[in-house]
Amino acid sequence: MPAIKKVVLQNFKRFESLTLEFDDGVNVLIGDNETGKSSVLLALDLALSASRSRVETIGYESLLAQSAVRAFQRGPRTLDLLPELVVDVFLEEGDEQGYYGTQNLTGAMTDGIGMTIAPLVEEFGSTIHQLLQDDPEGFPYEYYGVKFYTFSGGPHVSYRRPVKHLLLDSSRIDSEYAAREYTRTVFSFNAEPPERFSLENRYRRGKEAFRDEELATLNAGLGDYQFGVRTSIRSNLETDLIITKEGIPIENRGKGEQCFIKTEFALRRHGAKGELHALLLEEPENHLSHTKMKLLVEQLANTAGTQLFIATHSSHICSRLDLRHALLLGSEQQAGRLKALTEPTASFFMKAPDNNVLEFALSKKVILVEGDAEFILIEELYKKHSNGRTPRADQVHIISIGGTSFKRYLELGKLLGIRVAAIRDNDGDYQQHCVENYKDNLYKEARIFADPDKDRSTFEIGLYHDNKDACDDLFAAGRKKLTVQEYMLKNKADAAFELLTKKSAALVAPQYIQDAIKWINE
Amino acid sequence: MDKRVVFAVAGSGKTTHLISKLSLDKRALIVTYTENNHRHLRNSIIKKFGAIPSNITLMTYFGFLHGFCFRPFMQNEMNTRGLNFRAPPQSKYPLTERKRYRDPGGRLYHNRLAKLIEVEGLLPAVRARIERFYDAVYVDEVQDFAGHDFNLLLEISAANAEMLFVGDFYQHTFDTSRDGTVNSTLHKDITKYEKRFSKAKIKVDKETLSKSWRCGTTVCDFITAHLQIKIHSHKDRVAEIIKVDTQELADRLHSDHSIVKLFQEQHYKYGCYSQNWGASKGQDHYENICIVMGQKAWKQYEEGKLREAVAQTRNKLYVAFSRARGEVYVVSDKLFKAYKS
Repeated sequence: MPAIKKVVLQNFKRFESLTLEFDDGVNVLIGDNETGKSSVLLALDLALSASRSRVETIGYESLLAQSAVRAFQRGPRTLDLLPELVVDVFLEEGDEQGYYGTQNLTGAMTDGIGMTIAPLVEEFGSTIHQLLQDDPEGFPYEYYGVKFYTFSGGPHVSYRRPVKHLLLDSSRIDSEYAAREYTRTVFSFNAEPPERFSLENRYRRGKEAFRDEELATLNAGLGDYQFGVRTSIRSNLETDLIITKEGIPIENRGKGEQCFIKTEFALRRHGAKGELHALLLEEPENHLSHTKMKLLVEQLANTAGTQLFIATHSSHICSRLDLRHALLLGSEQQAGRLKALTEPTASFFMKAPDNNVLEFALSKKVILVEGDAEFILIEELYKKHSNGRTPRADQVHIISIGGTSFKRYLELGKLLGIRVAAIRDNDGDYQQHCVENYKDNLYKEARIFADPDKDRSTFEIGLYHDNKDACDDLFAAGRKKLTVQEYMLKNKADAAFELLTKKSAALVAPQYIQDAIKWINE
Repeated sequence: MDKRVVFAVAGSGKTTHLISKLSLDKRALIVTYTENNHRHLRNSIIKKFGAIPSNITLMTYFGFLHGFCFRPFMQNEMNTRGLNFRAPPQSKYPLTERKRYRDPGGRLYHNRLAKLIEVEGLLPAVRARIERFYDAVYVDEVQDFAGHDFNLLLEISAANAEMLFVGDFYQHTFDTSRDGTVNSTLHKDITKYEKRFSKAKIKVDKETLSKSWRCGTTVCDFITAHLQIKIHSHKDRVAEIIKVDTQELADRLHSDHSIVKLFQEQHYKYGCYSQNWGASKGQDHYENICIVMGQKAWKQYEEGKLREAVAQTRNKLYVAFSRARGEVYVVSDKLFKAYKS
């Protein structure tokens, strides 16, 4: 299987330049909206397909990086400065010399194919020059052309693709084009060329037989003008094929079901038959119920032999498929890899209950808290100690995690350079639990905040001591056996919620939490 | 690693010999000089294997030169767009100036590309590329390599792979890619020619393909005697060489569609089944042939002095005579004059 090792983009959509290294197995692209996850999949799809018409349908204008076009327009606007788009797809090296060479952006001698959209300067140089002079606003998209090549400098053509791939985009899953493209691809790797051509041939002859036998009577009385059956590029086996499940065409099923079936069908092994080398999945979680998504993830996790590229917003998908496969696309044209994550941490996130790991990974500043009570109150306390600004306004994310997983998140945070304030209880020994415990896990941008007083061992105790009046006022009435503090400890979340709804104006955060709120924005 | 050049005679089974070297477990690159021969070899490979196996690559020389030796390394850097098959203009660019090799439209002069590869220091990379993908390199029609191309061939033969070049020195009819005086006397003297190979540590083999399967003893003896080109026959068949001396016989030959008429040039003007001497190279399907000679050659033939013809004419005649499986008619073009348009 020729694996895709790397992609290098230049002036493609939002990327002026981007390099992404891929794993031979699973690659999960994560990132905020508008960070270009789909663009990466699109770049791979276009370059691998080598379909000029597909590129032209999308249009050069929407593919060429607008930032590069603007930069050109601001400059002296000469021919030699016209921006060019490049997608170089690096492949695992094989025995075919035609893919091997240095004709790529990095100049490395290796296997690969690529696509460029560049101005046709040799052909239309003087026309473009004139146009640039005559129209100070215009950009000569009309004089751009797309070219597909291999790293040996030869042409790359769609009927000789080194990597058989399929793009499943759940947002356009029921568009006619996508459906046809899907059926065509799946058909082509389920049926070997000889079988395929024989089927196509028999289908055409079947139509002719229908004309000759069934239409014969009707045609007999018609003289020179006869009815026939269309056999053409728009009407043949490939255009008429559909995929059914239990007799029902899958295009008649819901989007979610379609997405699921299509993925499953594409990944099914076919023994010695042609196989799918790469599957590109665009936000497979769309339209899927939670149960179906879990099934899908299971399917993806057990895929062997097909390289997967998944763009997703789902923590579930990316943590269950092993966070080390995740490629984080940032807003500054950079990509972080979680490959360096240790094995125990990666498996922790695969096994741990559903979590907010993606939200964490995509944040710049995070306050980690370890329980529901803290989570309920922290936003209010934050506002109180930051002149009324909300955490959201400061782009601070608050994430509640199980007490034991601080170190896991810190490892991830260190890798991604996230500023983390971790708020925890001292559990009776500040030095032991909150200092010694983390001495190997902290980094410049991460700090543990806890109460140094061993008697204030949990959040509730500290909170009670600092807000005695408010708590007594709220909870003292009706207490028979338990003290107010004992009540708060036994009913952490309920007590916190009541404090939030009834006493928020009076509440003061314990000093270590105040410190955390101050530090996170330094 | 065996490195050898086999000098073959016409009809001795060069193609068969090359094809016999091919197998499914040796990665082989075959380079031919002409398009005609490329097609011929391609069909022979398909006959042997049913298709072209993925471990066998067949290229024409210019496909190899551009697509294998240049493009993978330099295309983007020099912004080139293929080859220019015209002669470069007279200009005095130094060897290191890229304009010497690339025309203003971005095409590379075909006869200088081999030199460019040397000047740009790509030879080690080309050898490494050969070693990376192939166990053996086979070059057919090696006699057609001239100019810089011949030097390039010797340079790349040092790659760590089996090298087998086959060709027929006397079938060299013209240099298609000469550049100035580089190797301009290469084909003047077979002894010196052989030395170039041995100096490059390529064994010269004049035995393996020294006998013709196609031509009978008579034709071989005729070629040896009249053209002084050594050729032996596998067949002990005696076929006649017939000197045409009547207009009547000439007329019959002209209208006989089973006998090809071979002319020195402009064969199409005679309105019959015909070909030019030089262009009949590689053709293997003629039975009896008729060689039409111009006045100069005819005179030399009659005086038994054909060997004194200029090398190019002699070589073309050799090609023409050696097409014969059966009889050879030799005729003066005087007797064909009436048909010329």
